[in-house]
Amino acid sequence: MTTTALPNPSASGAGRPPLPVKMVIAGGFGVGKTTTVASISEIEPLTTEAAITEVAAGVDDLTHTPHKTTTTVAMDFGVITLDPTLKLYLFGTPGQDRFGFMWDDLVAGALGGLVIVDTRRLDDCFAAVDYFENKGLPFAVGINVFDGNLDHDLDEVRWALDIPDSVPLVMFDARERGSVRDALLVVLELALQRAEEE
Amino acid sequence: MSGSDDVSGRRAEAVVRALRPYVAPPEEDEPPAGVASPAAPAPASAPGPGPGSGPAAGPVGEPVRRSLSVRPFLVTAGRVSDTDRLPLETQVITTTAGLDALPALTFEQHDIVAACREPLSLAELAARLHLHLNVVRVLAGDLRSAGHLTVHAPQADAAHDLSVLRRVIDGLRAVPDSRGLTRDNNRPA
Ligand SMILES: Nc1nc2c(ncn2[C@@H]2O[C@H](COP(=O)(O)OP(=O)(O)O)[C@@H](O)[C@H]2O)c(=O)[nH]1
Ligand SMILES: [Mg+2]
Repeated sequence: MTTTALPNPSASGAGRPPLPVKMVIAGGFGVGKTTTVASISEIEPLTTEAAITEVAAGVDDLTHTPHKTTTTVAMDFGVITLDPTLKLYLFGTPGQDRFGFMWDDLVAGALGGLVIVDTRRLDDCFAAVDYFENKGLPFAVGINVFDGNLDHDLDEVRWALDIPDSVPLVMFDARERGSVRDALLVVLELALQRAEEE
Repeated sequence: MSGSDDVSGRRAEAVVRALRPYVAPPEEDEPPAGVASPAAPAPASAPGPGPGSGPAAGPVGEPVRRSLSVRPFLVTAGRVSDTDRLPLETQVITTTAGLDALPALTFEQHDIVAACREPLSLAELAARLHLHLNVVRVLAGDLRSAGHLTVHAPQADAAHDLSVLRRVIDGLRAVPDSRGLTRDNNRPA
């Protein structure tokens, strides 16, 4: 993967496009990923299919190399034009056991991630948390307040999730744009802080 | 958002037509020796009713949910495009040459060039045109080579670029909530 912009064979008529940046919204099935993207996206969330590579547990008998297969997953995304030169893309990805897949393609270059949690099914998010931790991607865990009850004890949830204090834990409402915005800002501020320390 | 399903049949056919030159044996990772050259027809031994196996508009390849029934490896195994690993948010823009060439382009190429009068990401293109992302990557690579599109990869180090991060934060803070309040009105920083 080249790290520079591709040369343009013919730039005639085409101006410089906005800079695209992206964040990843992860979490188990039904936790509110699509709702989150829809709340803040200026387009209706679109679904596309991405091919991801899975390294199977088994090893090929003959070559002793891990099996690799390509699987297609549905993924929804939205976009926010922050200014004419800057577009923020949000990619909502299925998590759960599917994070056994290699998401490198998706998270490469991402500014950060938001792992959405439904307190009724906490363990659905473990795979996503592990994945982001391993990737070193700045991320926060967002508890989607399905019941409208903002009184969950964050310390208890943090303990149950077994996430370090360095991972922000926030409560938010996936249906409320301002709430989604603020959850994303928590991730971005963490990303900025990390980048400043580099 | 445009993009209705009623045309997906026509699109599937058209894509099969557009991709036929690239059809290769269905081995994702290690195409066997003698992999079809771009111009070669699909080998008769290819399992399953591959796109190259006949003019029938019926089922091609394995049924893939909703989207096209053309498996991406049919495109990507046939040859390597330097756009095949481009990130999803890569921006694609039509050139004036592309606009001029519109009438001569095939369905998908036509649709891509027409859609990218405004900059679009590869992911948006795939979703709008009901094409697999990897199909869009390859077609966009072709159109770029032909000078019909420009392809702008995202800034690779954006995640570590302080000025980019600050711009994103400032931009997001200014996004109003459903009551019209920006982050800064709401809770002064
Ligand atoms: N009451 C309530 N319902 C929600 C909330 N967030 C999502 N939902 C609903 O929960 C279901 C699953 O949400 P969805 O965003 O599709 O989850 P995804 O599978 O993670 O994309 C949908 O029916 C949503 O309308 C919430 O905060 N409160
Ligand atoms: Mg969803």
